[in-house]
Amino acid sequence: MTYLPDSRPSPVASRIALIVSAVAAAGLVLTPLAVLGRSFDGNAVLLHLSGAALNLTADPQVRLPSSGTTTALGWVTLIFMLATLVGALRRERWFWITGLLGFATALAAVLLLNGVLNAESARIAADTTLRPGAKRTLRNFYGGGGMNLGLFLPMLAGLIAAGAGLSARQVWWDRLNRLRSLLVPTVAIGLAILVGAIVVLLVQPAVNGTGAALSLWGGWLAKTDLVYFVYSTLFAPITRLNPFLDSLKLATPLIFTGLSVAFAFRTGLFNVGAPGQLTMGAIGAMLVGVYAPAGLGWLLLPLSVIAAGIGGALWGGIPGLLKARFGSSEVINTIMLNYIASAIFIFLIGSETFPFLGREYNMPFKAEGFEARSNELQEAARLPTLLQFFNVGGSGATVMSLGIVFGLITLALGRWILGRRKVKNAGVLAFVAALVVGALTWRIGVPVQIAGSQLNASFLIALLCVAGFGTLMWRTATGYALRAVGLSPKAAEYGGISVARNTILAMTFAGMFAGLAGTHYVNGGALDEYRLKGNMPANVGFDGIAVALMGQSTPVGVVAASMLFGTIDTGGIDVDLKLEQINKDIVTVLKALIVLFIAAGGFLSRRVTDPPPPQLLKAVEATGKPDAARLDAPVAKTEQGTPLPNVGLSSENNTREGGK
Amino acid sequence: MQDLLAQIFGISFLAIFIRSFVPLLLTALGGLFSERSGVVNIALDGLIIFGALSGAIITKQIEPALGPLSPWVGWLAGAAVGGLVAWIHALLSIKYRADQVISGTAINLLASGVPPVILAALYGSSTESPKVEYGLPLWGVGELRFSPPVYFAFVLVAVIWYVVYKTPYGLRLRATGEQPGAAASMGVNVRRMRYSAVILSGVLAGTAGVFLSIGNLDSYVRNMSAGMGFISLAALIFGQWKPLGVLGATALFGFLQALSIQLGGTDLLPPTLVSALPFLVTIIALIFTGRSAAPKALGKPFDG
Repeated sequence: MTYLPDSRPSPVASRIALIVSAVAAAGLVLTPLAVLGRSFDGNAVLLHLSGAALNLTADPQVRLPSSGTTTALGWVTLIFMLATLVGALRRERWFWITGLLGFATALAAVLLLNGVLNAESARIAADTTLRPGAKRTLRNFYGGGGMNLGLFLPMLAGLIAAGAGLSARQVWWDRLNRLRSLLVPTVAIGLAILVGAIVVLLVQPAVNGTGAALSLWGGWLAKTDLVYFVYSTLFAPITRLNPFLDSLKLATPLIFTGLSVAFAFRTGLFNVGAPGQLTMGAIGAMLVGVYAPAGLGWLLLPLSVIAAGIGGALWGGIPGLLKARFGSSEVINTIMLNYIASAIFIFLIGSETFPFLGREYNMPFKAEGFEARSNELQEAARLPTLLQFFNVGGSGATVMSLGIVFGLITLALGRWILGRRKVKNAGVLAFVAALVVGALTWRIGVPVQIAGSQLNASFLIALLCVAGFGTLMWRTATGYALRAVGLSPKAAEYGGISVARNTILAMTFAGMFAGLAGTHYVNGGALDEYRLKGNMPANVGFDGIAVALMGQSTPVGVVAASMLFGTIDTGGIDVDLKLEQINKDIVTVLKALIVLFIAAGGFLSRRVTDPPPPQLLKAVEATGKPDAARLDAPVAKTEQGTPLPNVGLSSENNTREGGK
Repeated sequence: MQDLLAQIFGISFLAIFIRSFVPLLLTALGGLFSERSGVVNIALDGLIIFGALSGAIITKQIEPALGPLSPWVGWLAGAAVGGLVAWIHALLSIKYRADQVISGTAINLLASGVPPVILAALYGSSTESPKVEYGLPLWGVGELRFSPPVYFAFVLVAVIWYVVYKTPYGLRLRATGEQPGAAASMGVNVRRMRYSAVILSGVLAGTAGVFLSIGNLDSYVRNMSAGMGFISLAALIFGQWKPLGVLGATALFGFLQALSIQLGGTDLLPPTLVSALPFLVTIIALIFTGRSAAPKALGKPFDG
């Protein structure tokens, strides 16, 4: 897909708009438009475009909010979608307008409906004749209402059609083109959601509280609602503050392990060993945090965090060394080290005694009692929760410090101003200024209402690692060498870069990132206790693979992907609670599917995901000779390397002998 | 000391040895096909799990109708599902030119997510399937009684040796993994060879899974493979991608696994640490294995 100088939308763009508007129109007619109310376990009152309401709750007499305007707007949306369909069919220039209008009317319908539902909730709250229990049930019932597939699909389709229509203009084409790198992850998520929907439909019968059998049409509506219900619950935590903070807590270890896998990817290595490295990091943090002399005072915490990093770095460095020295595959070795780390983990905290050469010895690391856990960390080695960390208010009140905000503003301003004046080391100067401003304004804060979030300061360590990853990879000579080895080991070797040295270095750093995830569980008390605990979910190390692939091995991408996965992890617990047949492993399946589809490049053609640069095409067009296609230096600089080094290939080449 | 040795290396040790040895052998022989055709198959571990799961579930579901015949159908189903999942890996690696290691990892991740979802939907428990009434029959004498996949595995070594070295299919297979371009120029359909080899590896890994779930025990248990797929892959490398080498390498790793099980029952060493022994030895074995015998085109998508 490349830009064609033609004022009409390209055939491909038109076809995309055609397909999405057809799907949206079908969705409007064939799926529920909205939910007028939903009880905790998913039983809903479904509103269809025809205005008919299908009541699947146990209470057939439940009062329904008025829905006339919603249905009317639904019909208007349908008209716009059909207009877009016709426009796309005839490759008209205007169909982006109808697409956008369809989006707007669907959005208006959703907002109006939410207004009506809120009014209903308010009416219930004001009603004094109801018992408190019934009151809460009814308020939750109306609170559970909202849009459904019938309105969601046109909103999505309207935006896509608008984008497709506008792509005929050069300005918009350039804007959209900049988002091209998001194409594969987005398509992969979309496909994973589709396949996941099929799984949901297969394993979970339609939610029906009436007890009566459903007609064929009613059953279909209930099934489509089920899909929407599952996904809206999965992604719900992103819309409210407290669940969002919970999802950040689950995202923290994913950032660490995602960085770990991404770092190795950049050097052409595949680190499947994040679970083991995380375990060793956690053990390191525990050993220092519990057993280091208390006299060290505040030093205990940084030492314990460093120990976590060293534990992981060691466990990552071993396969790096083996690969560099003996050429044995890092994939198999890291997997083997996962099992070994888990054995050491259970050995340390699994039982109080162990036999050795016929005698019983005491295991000093396990705390007394039935549970598999270590002794508690010393107070000084614990990470505060972020609430404690940022709280500058006195006793009782929660007042969030604004120091960080001021610091970030200073950083941005400083870089912009100094950068415009071409001052040397603008970044460093701005950073120092930001630190000073942040420290000075630390005591200034705003009061907030947050119910005890357990998000701890390891989230900040994770963000520091993100910054460190970016700086090391793209601002230093070491990072240049690492990336060079990842892109082409032989060329790097020829250019004087030691492949062996960088292989070891990359795996060590990768291990360090994964090891630091241990601080989240041990120092941060993410498992409700400041100990090394037997139920530590080391498998988040495998999620790091999905995170790194989703995030295209970039630091910002890793954070975004971690937050997405943290969200569906949190939502998965809700789905598990609400629906009987679906457990939270559906989230694991979704993640695996995402990896699968990203590996396949989203089934998109190479010309779509990685097209020849436009300058090249233009030059070829202008002269008619392929020779003209040579890139000038600044253009070549902006052409980045493929985000995904072929690890299968490089595992052949990355040996010390350079793949002899 | 004499007592201890007798305690560890009794006749029961031989039985345990064979039971740990056979799934490794079956899986590694499967991996041999895939890798000899040039497709890295790190998905073996996941394929074992899919085979074990579907073997147990199908047997359980058709038991009321078929009775003692049902585990045999379960075996076929497990092998077929293994082949089907392997086909996904083949499709991604061959048609969509995916990175073979990542695509295999995706299959392994699926294998950790799909079984709990299916088990919860069918039986309400996410960790194990209900016990089957009829497992595969046990043939043999005394303590040495094994289910049919054991005998199948040993026959298979000879068959695969013959197929790989003495038949046209084997010649084409080896050519595909070494020089796909040359093979294609001689009229070999490289893609079809690779598809067939990867699917065969799934069938064999699935059979190994069936042995674990209804040949050795009588139900599917979460994480049943316990890393066997990866050890088989290491054994394949250690055995230099040759059928007889694979037989020797899997025998070694099977021996270590049996040893760690037996040692775990004594007070000689801490049982938790001993359970890591096979994994440690795998790493050491890989150090002493050159990659010179690896198929030249391993891991490289074919363009022609």
